[in-house]
Amino acid sequence: MAVVELPSFVRQDGREKVTGTARYSADLSTPGLLHAAVRLGGVAHARIRGIETARARALPGVVAIVTQADVPDLRYGTWVRDRTLFASDAIRWEGEIVAMVAATTEAIAREAAALIELDLEPLPPVVDLEAAIAPGAPLVHPGWAAYDGDARIPREGNVGSRHTIVKGDAEAALAGAPVVVRERYVADGSHALPIEPRAITAEWQGDRVTIQTSSQVPYLARTHVASTLGMPEGKVRVIVPHLGGGFGGKCEGHFEPHVAALARIARRPVRLAFDRREEFLAPDHHRERMVIDLATGVDHDGTILARSARILIDNGAYGADEPYLAQLAAVFAVGPYRIPAVATESLVVYTTTQPTGSVRGPVAPQVTWAVEQHMDVVAERLGIDPLELRRRNILVEGDEGPVRQRIGANGAKTALERAAEMIGWGRPLPADEAIGIATGWWPSFPGPSGAVVKLNADGSGTIVTGAQECGTGSVMALPILAAEVLGMRPEEFTLLYQDTDAGGWDAGASGSQTTFNNGRAVVSAATELRERLLALAAERLEANPADLELTDGVARVKGSPEAAIPIAELAAEAQGGRLLIADGSGDPPAVPEVDAGGCVGRLGGESFAAPCYFTQAVRVRVDRATGVVRVLEVAAAHESGTIVNPIGAEGQVLGGIVMGIGQALTEGTQLTPDGRQRNADMLDYKLVTAADAPPMRVEFVQVPDPNAGPRGLKGVAEPPAVPTPGAIANAIARAAGTRIRLLPMTAERVWADLADVEAGR
Amino acid sequence: MRYETSFRLNGTPVSVSVEPSRTLLHVLREDLGMTGTKEGCTDSECGACMVLLDGEPLNACSYLAVQADGREVTTVEGLSAPDGSLSALQRAFLAHGGVQCGFCTPGMLISATALLARDPDPAEETVRAALSGNLCRCTGYQGIVQAVRSAAAEIREG
Ligand code: FES
Ligand code: FES
Repeated sequence: MAVVELPSFVRQDGREKVTGTARYSADLSTPGLLHAAVRLGGVAHARIRGIETARARALPGVVAIVTQADVPDLRYGTWVRDRTLFASDAIRWEGEIVAMVAATTEAIAREAAALIELDLEPLPPVVDLEAAIAPGAPLVHPGWAAYDGDARIPREGNVGSRHTIVKGDAEAALAGAPVVVRERYVADGSHALPIEPRAITAEWQGDRVTIQTSSQVPYLARTHVASTLGMPEGKVRVIVPHLGGGFGGKCEGHFEPHVAALARIARRPVRLAFDRREEFLAPDHHRERMVIDLATGVDHDGTILARSARILIDNGAYGADEPYLAQLAAVFAVGPYRIPAVATESLVVYTTTQPTGSVRGPVAPQVTWAVEQHMDVVAERLGIDPLELRRRNILVEGDEGPVRQRIGANGAKTALERAAEMIGWGRPLPADEAIGIATGWWPSFPGPSGAVVKLNADGSGTIVTGAQECGTGSVMALPILAAEVLGMRPEEFTLLYQDTDAGGWDAGASGSQTTFNNGRAVVSAATELRERLLALAAERLEANPADLELTDGVARVKGSPEAAIPIAELAAEAQGGRLLIADGSGDPPAVPEVDAGGCVGRLGGESFAAPCYFTQAVRVRVDRATGVVRVLEVAAAHESGTIVNPIGAEGQVLGGIVMGIGQALTEGTQLTPDGRQRNADMLDYKLVTAADAPPMRVEFVQVPDPNAGPRGLKGVAEPPAVPTPGAIANAIARAAGTRIRLLPMTAERVWADLADVEAGR
Repeated sequence: MRYETSFRLNGTPVSVSVEPSRTLLHVLREDLGMTGTKEGCTDSECGACMVLLDGEPLNACSYLAVQADGREVTTVEGLSAPDGSLSALQRAFLAHGGVQCGFCTPGMLISATALLARDPDPAEETVRAALSGNLCRCTGYQGIVQAVRSAAAEIREG
């Protein structure tokens, strides 16, 4: 068990961030800048009979207005092409954008947007997930069958996609199991909610547009602009200034094409800056509402024999990542457990609510919250300690995963035991306190990525990367990897990043993939430079390159430190000839082989490459009079491969836990009966504050995995948010003597359950 | 109608002519070019816009610029020394992982600066309570709380 000490690696963007000189999207200005405002639909579901912009256009200071009539008439979408840039025929959720106005001030733009008149014919809202898939339910997309979509995805009416994991005969195994537990869990939605609301500036020069945007995925945003506006990608440059947090909320391309189209019509640069309510209502970053039905068959000794599950997942009005995520949900319903017979199904359901999408560890927190409570219920039924039940069933090397992939060496069991030890599992506690535990897993996402590394004549290095830094420190950690290969110090590297015209392609700050994939690209580029440095040094030292090493800023003969040349000298010499510049991508590691023949809706998410395994244990106090739950302490043990930047990795776990506490207790999207958000502000949608956040202890378990990234690392940012709600739920159940099957587990809900128990209901 | 408004900003006298409805935050960011102070909500919910007004922390989004007339305003840009060296708090935030995306950082540093001015040796709960008006989505607060306490110790020891 390796325990990591934290060296203080100071992030390169740190100084500008503590002095206020770091520029974020909303801080930028440019001569002639106009300000944009959006006109949203405002209703849940309606047919559009007319859009009247005359009064808005007449307002002094208004320069341009853009609607669907001004952009190419085409549908787009990640898996199903179900949307257009602006609504023109129907409004399918309250935040749907109908028009965008550019004016000389933001106040005028907002006033003009409000003056746009919409002639609407109300249509029935579709909110409840069960009702949405019932026969005869009103359709969110009556024309769904004509939409182009990925042929692997089965869809039908309001069911936007369907995905299953099938292994063995779960039905028969459940029928034959000595003990079967069946339960339902229901989760409300929640938000990514970075503290920075997004801002986007577009400026045309000739037929090229430069877009400065708060995006986690600049290359995907570029593709989105090019494809929706019908331009070549080479004419679109996307730059991301400092990004004030993402958590998935700034994934996918969004309003970049809208602002670009508006700036083209206005013939002036235009900036759109969202206020908090608009940021709440931006599409594709709402954590999904879910209805989760679970059934598990076990033997008396706690051996799990079968698991079946059906998960309804809210897609909202338009599709983003949900089909892929639903497939992940079908896997998460199994959990990191050895289960011989599995039948899980997830349905992505269209509703007239905010489109859902990737939020930190998408779908996993809700499903894991349900599965881990379910495990405790099974343990109670059997009279087995919940920790022991998990220990008996958790995946170990040589086991078969949900789609029969071979499970490699991993730290799942160690993490489980460490978290329990750290919190003092089983110790006596006051009557209103209890400890709960939850475990989980999360895949790595191998994919292409590129980087350039060059050495300057003064011996410093520059990394030019397409990777995106959203605050996690993943890009900040790249110099550590390059420095190690080149025998230099991380501080000797500068970074050029977040400009699609400069770096190599990268998938962006999503899926915790940056260090995994771009780290590999940097190591590959640095390795090529290393070869060239060694060859140069070999000539100068009249030695064999194989006998040389790069260390402490010099190239030297191994074992004879006096025969050395500074790297700076070699770089300066190279400046007169073949420059020391190299690019790299490296080959993504293989994903494990699977046997998923019986599964439908396969999009590649079923096979977990280099998974992270983790367990969190929490101690809570429940106030029986008010239902208020306070998290007193958290112990987290995470296996995320090799930890390259300990202070950064620890920061991810700490931040993820606190986000998980919010999702568990206070962060829930409250909807009106027709599906509009009631609490789109931070007074009513409550984040955890410094005063509520508990002390946390984090340990990393490090186990080598051949399919991991460079130096055996794996993603770090998403897993920490996954098990927290489940651990808190289990602690509440033990402290309160009643189990809360609704998420978030608000004081009101806990109080109502306690009142029921007391009244004997 | 515009009002001539004069105040000291990070030690330097400034004078701007502002409409009475404009907030101090917008005048700082738009008229005076001080974009270090952030806008996260415009509604006193997040603390990203915090500045010191005569040494007291204040959400600049909910304060009219004309009210600052004759007073002393300090923003994050005014926290480091004139020679650019960082304050003990700024250094501690970096060393303890108190900065990730950095969007809450200016407001956090302002809050923490005000706290240490009135309490040079705050207990952990005191720090947490003092920072409870500053939301951070990234760090889980632990690194920030450690940073404030370690900076306090450093300042006390001189
Ligand atoms: S911007 Fe002032 S409190 Fe959020
Ligand atoms: S560091 Fe990102 S919000 Fe605090």
